[in-house]
Amino acid sequence: MTVNVLSRVAERVYWLGRYLERAESTARLITVNGNLIMDLPVRLPLGWRPLIDITGSGELFESLYGKGHASERNVCRFLATDTRNPGSIINSIIGVRDNARTVRENMPRITFEYINELYLFARSSLVPGQSRTRRGEALTQISRLAQQLEGFLSQNMLHDAHWELLRLGNYIERADMTTRIIDVRTVDLIAGHHELEPFQDIQWRSVLRSFYAMQAYHASVREPVDPPLVLQFLFKDERLPRSYLRCLNSVRRSLRELPRNGDAVAACDDALHALRDTDVARLGGMEHSVELHGFINDCQVHLSELHDAIVSTYFG
Amino acid sequence: MTIDWRAYQATGLYDELVLPSGRARTGTGKLVQALAKLSDDELVERKAAAELAIRSMGITFSVYHEGTNIDREWPFDIVPRLIMKREWDEVARGLKQRVRALNAFIDDVYHHRRSLRDGVVPEDYVLRSREYRSRCAGIDPPYGVWSNVCGTDLVRDADGSLYVLEDNLRVPSGVSYMLENRAVMKRIFPELFEHYAIHPVDDYPSELAACLRSLSPRDVRSPRIVVLTPGIYNSAYFEHAYLALEMAAELVEGPDLVVAEDDCVYMRTISGLERVDVIYRRIDDLFLDPQAFRKESMLGVPGLMRAWQAGNVALANAPGCGVADDKVIYTYVPDMIRYFLGEEPILANVPSYRCAEKEHRDYVLDNLQDLVVKPANESGGYGMLIGPHSTRRERDEFVRIIRANPRNYIGQPTLGLSTAPTIAGNTVEPRHLDLRPFILSGKDIYVTTGGLTRVALRKGSIVVNSSQGGGSKDTWVVEPATREPPG
Repeated sequence: MTVNVLSRVAERVYWLGRYLERAESTARLITVNGNLIMDLPVRLPLGWRPLIDITGSGELFESLYGKGHASERNVCRFLATDTRNPGSIINSIIGVRDNARTVRENMPRITFEYINELYLFARSSLVPGQSRTRRGEALTQISRLAQQLEGFLSQNMLHDAHWELLRLGNYIERADMTTRIIDVRTVDLIAGHHELEPFQDIQWRSVLRSFYAMQAYHASVREPVDPPLVLQFLFKDERLPRSYLRCLNSVRRSLRELPRNGDAVAACDDALHALRDTDVARLGGMEHSVELHGFINDCQVHLSELHDAIVSTYFG
Repeated sequence: MTIDWRAYQATGLYDELVLPSGRARTGTGKLVQALAKLSDDELVERKAAAELAIRSMGITFSVYHEGTNIDREWPFDIVPRLIMKREWDEVARGLKQRVRALNAFIDDVYHHRRSLRDGVVPEDYVLRSREYRSRCAGIDPPYGVWSNVCGTDLVRDADGSLYVLEDNLRVPSGVSYMLENRAVMKRIFPELFEHYAIHPVDDYPSELAACLRSLSPRDVRSPRIVVLTPGIYNSAYFEHAYLALEMAAELVEGPDLVVAEDDCVYMRTISGLERVDVIYRRIDDLFLDPQAFRKESMLGVPGLMRAWQAGNVALANAPGCGVADDKVIYTYVPDMIRYFLGEEPILANVPSYRCAEKEHRDYVLDNLQDLVVKPANESGGYGMLIGPHSTRRERDEFVRIIRANPRNYIGQPTLGLSTAPTIAGNTVEPRHLDLRPFILSGKDIYVTTGGLTRVALRKGSIVVNSSQGGGSKDTWVVEPATREPPG
């Protein structure tokens, strides 16, 4: 028997899933970037700005901090603790908590203690201008607490419609973040800052590390790090939990469990077909960088149409 | 040092557990003994265990909103309050009798007004009550019952007898704490349950669900029941969510519901609109329907009164039932019982003086320092004067407001509220308490076994409201032990 879900509750659960994923991936992004920077010579142009672009918040950042002020301190503050940035880690966690408040009877009771714990920890441990060591520890712990929470829900929540809606939020956010990371990093790489060429390898590794997927790449691809293979792996390897294909398939599976899923499944299939019909490995060459960027743009459009279909079907 | 019952001072009032001599009351010996055996450390340990249990069971799940905690926890005292089964059976009979009469009265007010014409209750008091809703006239809720869920407050005076203090007929709360208190006690004092045959309380949610189902306008196997809450910022939100979960009902807010052109109520779901049969509403009448009452209400559902009047949805409690939840009307309940049921009241009211009547008013004004004065329509213990604890200035103020609006006030003697042992530091001291049983009326009538015992945690205080320093205790209705050990 399918248990019906109130539209308001469905919307809350969906956003809970998105915010939880966003908090976790943003924490991971900052950590990975910090590590990358340490491996590159100081004179190189790559710095913290790409993170602003990955999160699609360039305009807001510049209005708050000014153009050309993408320093480590500013970018970390903006992404981690700045409550003026709706996508900051702290706001994402507040989003998790606020959405959880109204749906707490749909989840195991203890969930809310965990969420409070995550919030209180983020609140007390993320401080603007803190040392790299402190920041690294705090972000790692936040990422860990967020993953624990997801794991806990997976293990203990009833896998009913609420669960599927939570997963929809998780996977759409994850697919979105995956394409953003590929976009910014690879466009940067492919567009060929020539002085970066000796460090290409390090950067591709950093892309993979953003997904905690360095070992997975070796295990799955069994080749040295090479742009076409990395793209193929991140877009189309169904075994990689954060690959774009895997995210879309998961979205589709969750949608199949929900009523009135016609529009949303169709939107998901559009995205899948576009992926199937694109030879992403071919786009790994420098000469195809514009094409790759265009394809990723299409992916973003598909995801946003998918989101809209979910909103209009279920939350109206 | 362990609890020394000889040092326990029952302050010359009636103590629920201990006689003035320090000996246990009949039937309470085992509990008194068990408590006396606990060392200081154990006592503190059990108290901490209770607090931990309350936290982990989520009773007090706290949310910090920019530094402030919007869910408050309600302090729990680990010493249970005992009531003998034999006494309780009589009380339960009295409560059923009372609620039957009250519902008959409300139904009469909105139909033939026989009781008003016959002078049982002055017509003027009723029709000019703030809670009278003219648009409810002529409506027939199922079984003629208007207050499906009633919480009646009982107190015990120094002489040992129980009195009804007030009937909460509109949206009484507290029942979830009654249920959770029992669950906590089972966790922290499982061994105490070996000594007594304690009557269970956890059938309440299924009784409530059965009561609500019996109101469904549609004859379907499982009618759709929802609990309508004002939302997360309401102080009783925990209870709304708790009851919805326990009854497998949907917890909804106003915007989740819609009245369609067919005058039926639907809820918005991921499968589309789904018909709703029974609404257990936990918001006040005036916020139910912006089309009928307060236009600015964001909590309600436009058209809800229309759907209810058309008989397409049941509302529990029925709008307008608050007309009998007025402390002046309360003074007539014994007369209602005689008039509608032809029976003598089993439970007594606290003697009351109506300030609208000159003789009564003069008495109240002359004796303010000895009386409790209450407004007709406040709850939560607000707007009261407690004479013996009042200042000259407060009394002068009450002289003024009583004279300005005598209809709105009653006076009652200050009762010597009974006490029960309550943890204070590492020992027990007497604290005043009351009792709120809940009465469900639908197709059948049901009374909780015991109810919620509220206790004034501050020494000497007689205010038990949670908003004003009150806590609660588990309430045990027990069969007397076969053989009493010496106390």
